[in-house]
Amino acid sequence: MSLLEISGLTLDLPSEPSCRLLDGISLNVGAGETVGIVGESGSGKSLTARTVLGLLPGGARTSGSVLLDGTDMLRCPPSVALDRRRDTVSMIFQDPRSGMNPVRRIGDFLTESLRLCEGWSKADADERALELLRSVGLPRPESHLSQYPHELSGGMLQRVMIAGALTAAPALLVCDEPTAALDVTTQAEIINVLRKQQETRGMGMLFITHDLNLAAALCDRVYVIHSGRIVEYGSALSIFTSPRADYTKRLVAATPTIPSVSGRRSSAAASHGRAPSAGSAEPALEARGVSKCYAIRGGADIRAVDDVSFRVPPGGALALVGESGSGKSTLARMLVGLERPDSGDILVDGVSRSTRPRSRAERLKRARAVQIVFQDPYLSLDPRIPAGAAIEDALRLHSTLRGVEARARVLTLLDRVGLTEKHSQSKPRTLSGGQRQRVAIARALAAAPGVLVLDESTSALDVSVQAQVLDLIDEIRRERGLTLVFVSHDLAVVRRVCETTAVMKQGAVVESGATAGLLEHPGHPYTQLLIDSIPKPRRSLHAISQ
Amino acid sequence: MTILPILKKLGSLALTLFAASILVFCSMYFVPGNPVSFLLRGRSPSAEAVAAVTAQYGLDKPVPEQYVDWLANVLHGDFGRSFQYREDVSTLIASRAPATIGLVALAGLIIGILGLAAGITAALNQGRAADQAILLASTGLAAIPSFVGAIVLIAFFAVQLGWFPSFGSGNGFLDALYHLVLPALALAATFVALVARVTRTSMLEQLGREHVEVAVSRGIGRGHVIRRHVLRNALGPILTVSGVLVAGLLVASSIVEQSFGLSGIGSLLVQSVDRLDFPVVQAIVLLIVVIFVTMNTVVDLLAPVIDPRSMAGAAAR
Repeated sequence: MSLLEISGLTLDLPSEPSCRLLDGISLNVGAGETVGIVGESGSGKSLTARTVLGLLPGGARTSGSVLLDGTDMLRCPPSVALDRRRDTVSMIFQDPRSGMNPVRRIGDFLTESLRLCEGWSKADADERALELLRSVGLPRPESHLSQYPHELSGGMLQRVMIAGALTAAPALLVCDEPTAALDVTTQAEIINVLRKQQETRGMGMLFITHDLNLAAALCDRVYVIHSGRIVEYGSALSIFTSPRADYTKRLVAATPTIPSVSGRRSSAAASHGRAPSAGSAEPALEARGVSKCYAIRGGADIRAVDDVSFRVPPGGALALVGESGSGKSTLARMLVGLERPDSGDILVDGVSRSTRPRSRAERLKRARAVQIVFQDPYLSLDPRIPAGAAIEDALRLHSTLRGVEARARVLTLLDRVGLTEKHSQSKPRTLSGGQRQRVAIARALAAAPGVLVLDESTSALDVSVQAQVLDLIDEIRRERGLTLVFVSHDLAVVRRVCETTAVMKQGAVVESGATAGLLEHPGHPYTQLLIDSIPKPRRSLHAISQ
Repeated sequence: MTILPILKKLGSLALTLFAASILVFCSMYFVPGNPVSFLLRGRSPSAEAVAAVTAQYGLDKPVPEQYVDWLANVLHGDFGRSFQYREDVSTLIASRAPATIGLVALAGLIIGILGLAAGITAALNQGRAADQAILLASTGLAAIPSFVGAIVLIAFFAVQLGWFPSFGSGNGFLDALYHLVLPALALAATFVALVARVTRTSMLEQLGREHVEVAVSRGIGRGHVIRRHVLRNALGPILTVSGVLVAGLLVASSIVEQSFGLSGIGSLLVQSVDRLDFPVVQAIVLLIVVIFVTMNTVVDLLAPVIDPRSMAGAAAR
């Protein structure tokens, strides 16, 4: 018998009678086996993971069974489910920072179940916690015990979460997107910790992710889930290399990858590539020794951006790549004029914009020159303003169009980003993430900018939606001769759009040049590290485990 | 590192009190009416009599000098003499204080117990009958001014049922406590409703947090989860609101004292305002400001204990 055996699991919520959230899910995990569930947001993958622990949303109606080591987690009494959570199954969540009580110490988090539920003495529980912290590779276990979560980095916290999940020595570890909130290099470290713990303890592992690459790199078998149904399952490699279901094929095609540099996309990007340092034409966007410092109360100043210079020719596309804290978003905000550099200068079409705009006209003129699309379309659109009205507002500010003409222009813009008249009446909350980001792009285009800055504009989207939005950006750029600056943490994503790339670390550009060349022959060790950290299917496993 | 913010807080406390003392002192000159004419009780005095009274109370000196004298005396615990009672303000307040302290303390106890209990019950039964009932009751209670509440309580419990006395302070500890039950209930009603609402909202916010789900997923019992992760984290907003409520409680206590004929500080304030007894008004207003500002400074200083992240701005990273 398998360790975990889910058969015919369906789940309905009375609040959403029209759609079945889980529809006949069947899967199994053997002892010591790593099984992946891959799906996009809303597919039901997290819900499936939670049923394994008997955690159901309020009022949920289920059928089928979730047999965990012989116990049906759907039908057993609450006290039995509580016991299974204590001794058989543990779960690791997506965001360690919101998954840990901010007002309690790390030591308290690690030992509370032992002390409160198992009746261990404090000394024994602390001893066990230290042992676990050591095993997940934290540098100073003794001092971590008395620290609070906000004093640790995201990667360290996720290690603490893993240690916390291992306190009861579970037979099954359920991981729900455990690296989605982390930087790519940190992700590689956490995956290594998980793999090592899984191997040494012989645990079964159910690994939930939206990232096909990651699933293929880590798992023995993979289930692909879509709208509450399993559409395909098989060995990780076979799913990745020869998908059978249409959905899986689309997912594989949409997943950004690094290795095949000779792919269709890169050649498309290269076809209108210019030399990165084309000094002949006046650059559309230029940064000259731009620096920005933030004063931290009671600490040393942080150099968020440190002497950065680049030139982007008209119609060019520059990618700014780096991990969180590298200063890439601060730089983007300075390019748009949301912040002013402490020193250095930013020129758009040869005009400096480092001084404060003196008049409303000048401010609007600057805004027209550079527009930005932010990361999270859920936050960057006003929830009370319909999509069409948001775009019309931008038109009223930046053009002379009024009334009927303005509304016609709104429809043209919506049409350009693949939306229809129907969407112009919709409030953001009724739109999907991809549709919202299209609205945000249309709104930015309404000002007819020469330069468009995209600040992680696709990282909040599902991979298939991300692929569509990236295609859209690429099309619009070619059609209008837009100059693009694409800020991203993901080398595989920028590779699709930008022919030149600058890699940032701790505020400074460590390497820049043509994207293809940079990926094939990284000159700086940090670039190499970024490339190596991207998960790859098991064939090239050595890359990630090093 | 941790002592500096505390010193800063105490410094700003001192500054606030200083500013308040100026305002309180000057209020005497904003109010219509003249202390001298009050002191002479409407008699039409001779010029000499006016001059004598003016000199006796130091009213002939320039205003800044009067303020400095007054402040120096206040710092020595001397608030001057009451115009209407002809005795030291400090003695007067000291004799009236026990009734008010008893009233506010009992009301505070009721607010703390009933407010928290109602809020927690509502949050844990969100959407169910208990929650609805508590929400409805708290809306009603919050809408009733304390003097109306006082009259209703007197009419019902004192006049109709005769369970509690409706007037006076009583003699001896138990009798005094017995006399304080209705006033404390009348005073607490509105604040119970406010605290219940804040507790409910704050608890619900915490209940939806991911760390609560994580705790449940780790097999920790419901009681432990509620106490250690929900209620513990919900304390911050509850405490902040409680600090602000202190001012309302002190002000409302004067109305309740009047309604129930308690001779406390609140009723003394009302009478003194009525009769332009400036030294008493100044002393009581200053006292209320001191209590309010001190309570809120204490709440501020407690914040890092409640939530260690609030120190992070100064210390961490």
